[in-house]
Amino acid sequence: MRKSSLLALVGAFAVAASLVIGPAASAKPAKVNQATAGTVVIIHDQEPPTMRGSWEDNNLLATGLVTNNIWYGCEIYNNFAKFVPRLCAAKPKIVKRSPLTIRFTYKKSAVWSDGKPITAKDYRATWKVFTNPHNNVVSRTGWEDIRAVRGTGKTVTVVFKKPFADWESYVAGGVYPAHIIAGKDMNQMFQSSIPVSSGPWKFQSWQKGTQITLVKNTRFHAWKPMRFDRVVFRYILDTNARFQALRAGEGQAMQSQPQLQIADFLKDRKFVVERKPDIAYEHVDLQFGAKGHPALKKTFIRRAIATGINRQQIADALYRTISPGLPALNSLIYKPFEAGYVNYWGKQYPFNQARVINILKANGCTGGPDRPSASNNDIFSCPSVGKLSFRFFTTTGNQLRALAFEIMQRQLKSVGIELQARFQTGGVLFGTTLPSSDWDLIMFTYGQTPTSKITAKDLYACGGDQNYSLWCNKKASALLNKVPLTLSAAARTKLLHAAESQYIVKAVPSIPLYSRPAFTIHSRTLRGPVVNPTTEGMPWNVSDWTS
Amino acid sequence: MLTYIARRLLYSLVVLIAASFLVFTFVSVSGDPLAALRVTPNVHPDIIERIAERKHLNEPIVARYWYWVKDAFTNKFGTTLLGDRPILPDLWRVMKNTLQLVIAAELIALTLGIGIGVYSALRQYSFFDYTGTTFSFLGLAIPVFWFALMLQVGVVKIYEWTGHRIFPIANLSDVDPGSGIHFVTDRIHHLILPVLVLMIVNMATYSRFMRASMLEVLNSDYVRTGRAKGLPERKVIMRHAFRNALITIVTLSALSWGGLLSGAIITETVFSLDGMGLYFVNSLLSNDPYPVMAFLMITASSIVFFNLVADVLYGVLDPRIRYD
Repeated sequence: MRKSSLLALVGAFAVAASLVIGPAASAKPAKVNQATAGTVVIIHDQEPPTMRGSWEDNNLLATGLVTNNIWYGCEIYNNFAKFVPRLCAAKPKIVKRSPLTIRFTYKKSAVWSDGKPITAKDYRATWKVFTNPHNNVVSRTGWEDIRAVRGTGKTVTVVFKKPFADWESYVAGGVYPAHIIAGKDMNQMFQSSIPVSSGPWKFQSWQKGTQITLVKNTRFHAWKPMRFDRVVFRYILDTNARFQALRAGEGQAMQSQPQLQIADFLKDRKFVVERKPDIAYEHVDLQFGAKGHPALKKTFIRRAIATGINRQQIADALYRTISPGLPALNSLIYKPFEAGYVNYWGKQYPFNQARVINILKANGCTGGPDRPSASNNDIFSCPSVGKLSFRFFTTTGNQLRALAFEIMQRQLKSVGIELQARFQTGGVLFGTTLPSSDWDLIMFTYGQTPTSKITAKDLYACGGDQNYSLWCNKKASALLNKVPLTLSAAARTKLLHAAESQYIVKAVPSIPLYSRPAFTIHSRTLRGPVVNPTTEGMPWNVSDWTS
Repeated sequence: MLTYIARRLLYSLVVLIAASFLVFTFVSVSGDPLAALRVTPNVHPDIIERIAERKHLNEPIVARYWYWVKDAFTNKFGTTLLGDRPILPDLWRVMKNTLQLVIAAELIALTLGIGIGVYSALRQYSFFDYTGTTFSFLGLAIPVFWFALMLQVGVVKIYEWTGHRIFPIANLSDVDPGSGIHFVTDRIHHLILPVLVLMIVNMATYSRFMRASMLEVLNSDYVRTGRAKGLPERKVIMRHAFRNALITIVTLSALSWGGLLSGAIITETVFSLDGMGLYFVNSLLSNDPYPVMAFLMITASSIVFFNLVADVLYGVLDPRIRYD
């Protein structure tokens, strides 16, 4: 090669290298896992589609993580899923039972970031937003049960049309600023920005596809102010990239779904992993309708299935590395950390394979094994319902769910019950299959709130809005339908326990598996983040965060 | 030639219409955009029904396709199924980001690929030639997603050992990208790894084609004649051999440019780059056919157009080729 050509090639290489080395060299060397002074970066997977939560296109946890500290509530859920006052001077109180009348008072220091005070006018304006049929909100439940909102100052009086047990959820939440939304089309408001805040941070900017930046609300004095100057949510869709970015110090904190990568962070002393059972729980529904397998209409078969699944083994197998000791869930209504949690399912259906075979044989089923065996291929057939071979539906592309199915399949095959996999995308499963009730067994997660038990009727009462199992027991329904109308928490607990212990557990319309664990991972140099199993998410106590 | 171009454009229109209908159908039947709402607590079935009615989700596929066509022409690709968010502004934003990535990758792949191919041909069976061949096959064989992941892992390991993050793992910019020249250097810094991932395969392809094309041309009669006439070797190579060998690469590259706008779905997903690929993935995950269709029409039109350009260029560069 000629010397000049060689020199030209070297020169070209040097130019290219400078483009690489230059920016890299000028990048500030980041100290290992330390938050940049004044800024904390939270890495998350899903970016909100808009800043307008509670709308039909935006019922996402991802949005709430950003907006919960902007639309700050009279109360918020703490990490024990209990309401604690924030903008309100004290917890809202029932002042009259009939008609149900609630009263609460905003603190004098509760003001919007533009200086205007937060008053009853804002609560009234919010109520009107959710009851306006023109607005495409995702749910009017609760709001449409309010008859009147009285008051103009800091004290708000809410009068309900009828007894409404879940009233606290509807008075505790954040409100919209009446002076900002007056006369505006709410379907167009808050798409890409929010001009004011009532909470510890306020919206600054949104670089779509990359990050949302929030800054300290210097006018927030109703509770502890945020210590950081800035919180940035960085959005990284790919799971591996998210964890790598956390390792590489591109963020200091992350709220994570159960992922196997968490195991590495448990061993890494530079990080702290907090975990707690979530309100969301994994379960298996059984079909009672005409499109389901006729065998599932027989109680003894459903009980045999419940007895043949080792739920604790599934929880251990799935979460041994990332959440060791996760217990099986033993109630369809209460979670392990809630007062009122009783072990119904563990006592009624302890795992016992020999017992499954005995139950089936005692009811005339034949063709199955005499003893449980891992190599068994014989499947029971029962009188008038045929072979116990069931279509098992769940979502595809989820490692943990696929493993859970495999374990269940083997456990039940050992005792002569067959499960056939039917994995579908979420869109098909929840959009078409589930509502059509054309399935035998279906496994998925119910995302819930701490007050979801008040509306357990939607899942288990006859004709419930989300009762896709089509189970119908009139006595259970009567108990469950009373719950939303019962104001006393103790009385509600009694009703729910009666419904579950006397009817639901015995009928087995659904089998609880485990409460999904919730995780937060943060750099050890960042202090303060605590797992919150509710939709408040990890930023619920951002005012306590320090570095 | 003009008749040929007109005929090709007409055929392309038919292809685009057929492709749009097929994609619309498949996306619409593959899932329910209201699926998440159906399992959300406290969402009354009436609300779901109201949305379905407003967005014609209960109507036959053909009718829904027609609504989309109307929206696409009269309302700039329309709005999302849920939330009525305009599609074009988002699409324009991600298109700009993708073009930065893929044009950079394509130009670098072309430059290096052609250079390596030419030199390999000139120094056939040399150490450089064998090394180039080996790395070309390696580049062709490496799965894009694996390479991207390995680069990320490598960056993390270096960070853990040294405390220096030499490249960003994800996204298009830093938390504080700055403005002006700082913004530009920050953007380049963030694009280095994704560009490297994207260009590997194309560079390997171009270098192989260029090498083969050069070898064929170098053995031709007119090159031998040029040398026999006493022309300087450099002139023989650059003016005669190289230009003729370039025909194949030009048409190959024209075809490749057509696919640029479809983005690099895997690369953008792994590096979380706000581009066409990630936009497409997110739209598919939400089962919303409108953004998917907008993506399709832009990328399909680009592919059809550049296919035509490739065919026309071939005829222009090679006088032996004539179209009726």
